[in-house]
Amino acid sequence: MPVDLENSSTASGEASVSSTGNQNAPPKSTNKKKRSLPGTPDPDAEVIALSPKTLLATNRFVCEICNKGFQRDQNLQLHRRGHNLPWKLRQRSNKEVKKRVYVCPEKSCVHHDPTRALGDLTGIKKHFCRKHGEKKWKCDKCSKKYAVQSDYKAHSKVCGTKEYKCNCGAVFSRRDSFITHRAFCDMLTKESAKVQSEEPNLIEGMVKPNTESDPKVQPVDSSTSTPPTAVLAPALTKSTAAVSSSVSPGQSSEMPENSPQVVEEAPLSAALNGSCSSSSSSSSTGTKSSSVFASLFASSTASATLQPSQTPVLTDLMRAMAPPERPTDVGSSSSTDPIALCLSTNPGSSIFGSGGQEPRQYSQPAMSATALLQKAAQMGAAASNATLLRGFGIVSSSSSASAHEDSVRWSERSFESDNVSLPGLGLGLPCEGSSGLKELMMGTPSVFGPNKPTLDFLGLGMAAGGATPGVGRSALVPPAGGALDVAAGAASLGGGGGGGGEIAGKDIGTSS
Amino acid sequence: MMQFTETPPPPLHQISSFSNFTMNKNQIHRTRPWPGFPSSKSFASFGDANCMEQLLVHCANAIESNDATLAQQILWVLNNIAPPDGDSNQRLTCAFLRALITRAAKSGTCKMLAAMANAHCNLVVHNHKFSVIELASFVDLTPWHRFGFTAANAAILEAVDGCSVVHIVDFSLTHCMQIPTLIDAIANRFEGPPRLKLTVAGAAEDVPPMLDLSYEELGTKLVNFARSRNVMLEFRVIPSSYADGFASLIEQMRVQQLVYAESGEALVINCHMMLHYIPEETLNPSTTFSSLNPYSLEYYSSTSISLRSLFLKAIRSLEPTIVVLVDEDADLTANNLVCRLRSAFNYLWIPYDLVDTFLPRGSKQREWYEAAVCWKVENVIAHEGLQRVERLEPKSRWVQRMRNANFRGITFGEEAVSELKTMLDEHAAGWGLKKEEDDLVLTWKGHNAVFASAWVPAA
Repeated sequence: MPVDLENSSTASGEASVSSTGNQNAPPKSTNKKKRSLPGTPDPDAEVIALSPKTLLATNRFVCEICNKGFQRDQNLQLHRRGHNLPWKLRQRSNKEVKKRVYVCPEKSCVHHDPTRALGDLTGIKKHFCRKHGEKKWKCDKCSKKYAVQSDYKAHSKVCGTKEYKCNCGAVFSRRDSFITHRAFCDMLTKESAKVQSEEPNLIEGMVKPNTESDPKVQPVDSSTSTPPTAVLAPALTKSTAAVSSSVSPGQSSEMPENSPQVVEEAPLSAALNGSCSSSSSSSSTGTKSSSVFASLFASSTASATLQPSQTPVLTDLMRAMAPPERPTDVGSSSSTDPIALCLSTNPGSSIFGSGGQEPRQYSQPAMSATALLQKAAQMGAAASNATLLRGFGIVSSSSSASAHEDSVRWSERSFESDNVSLPGLGLGLPCEGSSGLKELMMGTPSVFGPNKPTLDFLGLGMAAGGATPGVGRSALVPPAGGALDVAAGAASLGGGGGGGGEIAGKDIGTSS
Repeated sequence: MMQFTETPPPPLHQISSFSNFTMNKNQIHRTRPWPGFPSSKSFASFGDANCMEQLLVHCANAIESNDATLAQQILWVLNNIAPPDGDSNQRLTCAFLRALITRAAKSGTCKMLAAMANAHCNLVVHNHKFSVIELASFVDLTPWHRFGFTAANAAILEAVDGCSVVHIVDFSLTHCMQIPTLIDAIANRFEGPPRLKLTVAGAAEDVPPMLDLSYEELGTKLVNFARSRNVMLEFRVIPSSYADGFASLIEQMRVQQLVYAESGEALVINCHMMLHYIPEETLNPSTTFSSLNPYSLEYYSSTSISLRSLFLKAIRSLEPTIVVLVDEDADLTANNLVCRLRSAFNYLWIPYDLVDTFLPRGSKQREWYEAAVCWKVENVIAHEGLQRVERLEPKSRWVQRMRNANFRGITFGEEAVSELKTMLDEHAAGWGLKKEEDDLVLTWKGHNAVFASAWVPAA
């Protein structure tokens, strides 16, 4: 900061910058030839020793009219203009400026020695206050005390701003205490247990049911504190089963015949369409089938929680799935064959055995889903609702052709892998049900790792038991674009993996 | 208030009669009972820490010389001037007072004091059994432990860079509270984190802080946490006690080295305020020696090398990658009670002083905290022999020991120092950080509290 060079500033009557107070020795000009430590002053600099009074003084320049105090003479002069008083603004002198350094007046201080002088007037003032002054400013939040006001201001800006929240509700201001707490918190145990046992949790935020949906969808909405697609998953399987079963018996929708159900369907579709738009990937495809497909998705969310009433929903969806080409007397089948429709109840059913033979009945974007179903059917009945579901979910939310080709590639890839228990969509689990799913859930995110032998559709390997549940979940969190490309999912996973709920915003466990 | 079984001693203004007592041979008879005794009649002037220390010293002397009457009188005075809910000096003195009473009650000759002790119902310090979450927040109340954790973790991270397997042997008073941040740091720093193995000596010691969780459960939580950070952690508990210098653990480690010579495995010995429980030279060898001592019988008795030295030598023989030694910087090993009392008084005022800055009175945590310090005071003052486990040594002596055991000190990096400074800034003012040669020292109001040092095997 520019220092007033003229010693004649003493005209103001106050002790000037370069004068000394009562107690101190006159300013010394010393030529220091020896350099001691880095950061020490220029040896040729003029050493100034100011008294404590001078250092602590504020507002040394006082206006004679209104007694307003100023720290610098130049500010006072500018103020005097306002009083229409004669003022004198000094320019910086053109001659070579002599470097000045300042020593601390406190004898016991390290900076009392001219060789450890500080090069800045403000610096020495602050130093003196901090080290040897009284701490006048106190932070309300944490009771830390400061002698220099700028230190206090800087602190109060950051005090309490950084907060780490654990799922259990505890809040920490320091990261290390947060980490230590988190390691031993029961919430971590619960979370990892949850991930291992509840497969639906893996699917997160892929498609959110529309809040304006009809009663069928609503119960799910209330439960969307857990990832909505979690609930989506089992339902989707059923829907899928429903779809395939609608295919196999050669049923197609009979719109005119099932007017009451059509009516039912409409709001559902509307709801589903709405939810389609929420999953931006699906919304990009304008076709009815895809939207219906997505609606299948969303409605299955509803159906997940409504076991008995699922069948009508499913039948609606089935009809929606196969609109023009084939008439489906779903109405008749729905009431008579709930077993066939509900995959969850029939692990060993031949739903897939017969289904999926007519991929052409689905329009373009849904083709991949059909292809998958076909392959799944070839694999045999599946007990793992979630895996099929996940596969489905991924397919439906991948909007573009490329995306669905990716998913087709994925399914092929997973077929290639030597996998007794996790073929394709993971449907080949021979009635193991949840146990296989658990293994799935525990898969590591290292989808692309060479050393993972079994990869299901999502590339969640079974082998790596040490997978982080949080990471596993994040694998399925689609990128903002919504197109759940598994590659993208895994990439985000790689980056975000291991976050483990560290910062509130990233905490998967608290996803809304 | 203490209940006396006999009539209380004469009021203070008659204390001039004390001059008739011969307290010890060096005492000059004065109108005041002893040098430094304030002439004022009010108790207010007794608030001075110096004065309290003097009283405690005299009381200790009286107890040691079996002067029950004098001891009782001083205890009465102390009891009046040092309530357990007073200021930090008073609470400190109160803890010492209780310890002295306990000590007096144990020594057979001071029967009257034994009666006093019985009347003083809450002499036994009840130490809380912490749940693991309580302990986690407890150790972070002050930098007392976090200082050592942070410094140690920084040094460990530097040392294990490039190793595929890291085996950590944790000798810690805080039941693995350091480990989560270590795991976190390892997970953050290394792209492909090394495999971690954690071995702890899981003896059920009676030293506070005590945990209400078994080590197995603790280990499970740690493994779980490590997994959540993508780090593989193996956890192992080897029942072993400081009383024999962790002999069984050392044995296991030796066997393991012979059988599984894993290349690329880094061995980290992390010692956090635990080693000062291992008996050292001032403990009479004949009383500590047991037939179960795996350390050589003849070697021990003939050369009188303490378990502490033997332990360090044994650690050295394992060829560790790094040894981190964090402990409290005080000398509580003197055999003479008065010396020990002075040392303890001039060190343990620190925890009593700093508690006021972060814990309000009446809070549970404050009770636990003060109970733990009280336990320490009692152990140092009232117990002897094997029961006196708090055998703190100053940093200088530990440094000497490590050098004798053929270790070489290494410095802590600049990053560690700045991290520590930031950490200390987040706590109340009063904490400081000092660099003393290679070691770092945590200070409270300028006084050394805890030191941290890092060692590697010397050539």
